[in-house]
Amino acid sequence: MTSTLDPTNELYSSLSPEVRQELAKLAQVTTVASGSKLVRQGVRPEKLIILNSGQVEITVPAEGKTLTLGTAGPGKVLALRAIVAGEAAEVDITALEKCSLTVLPAEEFLNVLRRNPEMYLAVVKVLSGDLRKADSFLRQKAGNLPLASGSRTRRR
Amino acid sequence: MAYNFPIIEDCLRCTFRENRVFCDLPREALVRLQSIKATSVYPKGTMLCLEGQAPRGVYVLCTGKAKISTTSSEGKSIILRIAEPGEVLGLTAAISNTPYEATVETLEQTQANFISHPDFVRFLQDHPEVGMKVAKQLTHNCQCAYTEIRSLGLSNSVPEKIAKLLLGWAKNPLQYSGPQTKPPEISIRVTLTQEEIAQFVGTSRETVSRVLGDFKKKGWIRIKGATWSITNKRALENLVTT
Repeated sequence: MTSTLDPTNELYSSLSPEVRQELAKLAQVTTVASGSKLVRQGVRPEKLIILNSGQVEITVPAEGKTLTLGTAGPGKVLALRAIVAGEAAEVDITALEKCSLTVLPAEEFLNVLRRNPEMYLAVVKVLSGDLRKADSFLRQKAGNLPLASGSRTRRR
Repeated sequence: MAYNFPIIEDCLRCTFRENRVFCDLPREALVRLQSIKATSVYPKGTMLCLEGQAPRGVYVLCTGKAKISTTSSEGKSIILRIAEPGEVLGLTAAISNTPYEATVETLEQTQANFISHPDFVRFLQDHPEVGMKVAKQLTHNCQCAYTEIRSLGLSNSVPEKIAKLLLGWAKNPLQYSGPQTKPPEISIRVTLTQEEIAQFVGTSRETVSRVLGDFKKKGWIRIKGATWSITNKRALENLVTT
């Protein structure tokens, strides 16, 4: 049984019980089938998604190609960057199997954030983790590029 | 003057504050920032953070620019982004208490405020508005990383990638000749070497050299030391398809 107050996800684990309680009032638990698109690149997400069970794939579409950043499992919070920035999503997120989700309407989540700015500490932890993953992907990718290794030639 | 810019030691009196991502904080937070930061000026080429090193703290960039790069297991370096004044460097490591994910090197003479790791964590905990600023910067950094991922994954030609880079820099020109000059010229200050440009677009230095030579031959750009002039912006724009 999934609780909307579950403190084990990457966002709630840093929030106070009071804030979790407030968010729980907005939350709905739902199930999606394998192959469901949870977040679409270029589209502003309307809901913050917390993955309760199942696996999702995070990809970056680029000119018809798809670059897979990785997969994520239970406890992952999805669409947070785009919602906090008020922008369209940069990635596609697709369910790889049947997934249980807790969803919170983006606008209402932002209202709770405005009322409880101490939540930003939890938000930055999630965003920091997402950035580390993206940078790590770039680091791996660098290995396949026609770059020089270790040379320090200075030439303008 | 020993430095080519005025040293701003008092954050409360900094006139740039309002335009900076991190520093535009309420007075109470600024007073605290002033008490926990140490101001220094670093010459070009200083490594502020080293990839893999335990996080000692963060640097708030006051003046100057810094390149943020990472190295693959094969020893190949790639530039993740260029940090501008007002950015906090070393954030992800400080927040997650893990080693620095990237190396930060100053690209020019730079003033930066160092905040030790424990002080920064307490600052973040005690002032929610600091968290808000940090979140704003992290969303921006994530966006840059995804843009870089998309760019590396695309089949764009190297001339296209370099044209895109130049057009991006041209958004913050040193000088714009104005529409009366036909064609109008845009002057930009380029502090990156050809090798660093190669690390930015994911190619070899030799290819960058060849492409820039081609751009010069066609009369699209002029290079004089660190001052580059884009003399045919339209031609560069025509190269960029995405």
